[in-house]
Amino acid sequence: MKEKNARRLVRLYPRAWRERYGAEFAALLEERRMSVLDVADVALGAADAWLRPQVTDGRMLVLERMRGSVLAVLWGWALFVVAGIGFQKMTEYEDFVQAAHRDFWVGAAFHTVVVGAVVALAAILLGGVPIVFAALRNALSEGRKDVPLLFCVPPLSLAAFVGYVLLLTRVVYPTVGPHAVHSSLNVALFLSVVGAFLLAAVVSIAAVSRAVSRTAIGERLFRFALYPATLVALAMGVVLAALVVWGIALKVQSPALFGGDGGILATHTAYTWLAIVVEMAISACVVAVALIKGFAAARTMPRASS
Amino acid sequence: MANKGNFDIGRFSDPSLFVLASLADGEKHGYAMMADIETMSGVRLGPGTLYGAIARLERRGMIEVVPTEDRRKPYRLTAAGASALQEQLLSLRNVVQTGLKRLATA
Repeated sequence: MKEKNARRLVRLYPRAWRERYGAEFAALLEERRMSVLDVADVALGAADAWLRPQVTDGRMLVLERMRGSVLAVLWGWALFVVAGIGFQKMTEYEDFVQAAHRDFWVGAAFHTVVVGAVVALAAILLGGVPIVFAALRNALSEGRKDVPLLFCVPPLSLAAFVGYVLLLTRVVYPTVGPHAVHSSLNVALFLSVVGAFLLAAVVSIAAVSRAVSRTAIGERLFRFALYPATLVALAMGVVLAALVVWGIALKVQSPALFGGDGGILATHTAYTWLAIVVEMAISACVVAVALIKGFAAARTMPRASS
Repeated sequence: MANKGNFDIGRFSDPSLFVLASLADGEKHGYAMMADIETMSGVRLGPGTLYGAIARLERRGMIEVVPTEDRRKPYRLTAAGASALQEQLLSLRNVVQTGLKRLATA
């Protein structure tokens, strides 16, 4: 059996099992002329290994939990960013800018949201960049191409998204001519941009998660990442609180604006605000739970035997 | 029940017995075990079944890997594995002898 197919079959097994038996099992599969029954037998063996773990490497299991927690923080933060972009989109209109200038609480809450978002981004980079470098270094030292290719997905997704936006602004809009802001064509194109952005974001985060999951990275980096992740959680909490204050202050100071149709796609401002608050609250909960689990796993990490 | 407790190695109990029997005459790696088991018993173990048995036996301390630089890791019986194999084979011999005796007198 060819090396590539053998590797694919080995990947069916849990990580701890692969760490222990992967190399020798792959050697056996490469050596043997595999029938369809053999492939089915490997699949059943893998299912058995998942259902009844045969390798109980405590360190490996704890490491997997810590990695899962760190990746869950990344996903929670991505959800938070999507909500934040929604808030930024809603408040870019002049009415909201003036409200922020006019009222102290609206302005202060808005700037707190911005500062919190920047802090969260910096913390994500602080915890994430060393993990990405370690994953790349390990993959390159093993001569693997899959991990570097997976890390190419985010810049490629971004390029594809920017390309799509340029296509719309440079080709599509000049061709179709001017349209009312909320005409059905404009709404459809706007929704397509939102869809393209969400697709690019999901694909990028999924690719990074996959790359990190497929590489052997030491516990030290995941343990360290939990601290910037704590900062991410705190920043998200602050942003969420500021967002709530922003909405309440806007309702008190500019009730007409809060009760008007200043939301995204001319929806009710209050409903758009509420949807953003709910999405941010969900993402904050995801991050908080992931952190609790991550620190719990880190506390149970057995000492290295060496 | 003591025998069962010692030899309770799950769904792959027959493959585990084959692996222990195969290693009884010396260390072997996975491919050699498969060939040996096929010659010995006519049973062609699949790779997934074989390594399921190997993993369980190693976890229970009945076999151990022989240190080597080669990707193909040889395994050997431990004292506990040899004892468990003997126990199981003696038990099977009783079953075989009794069964044959009963068939002869039936």
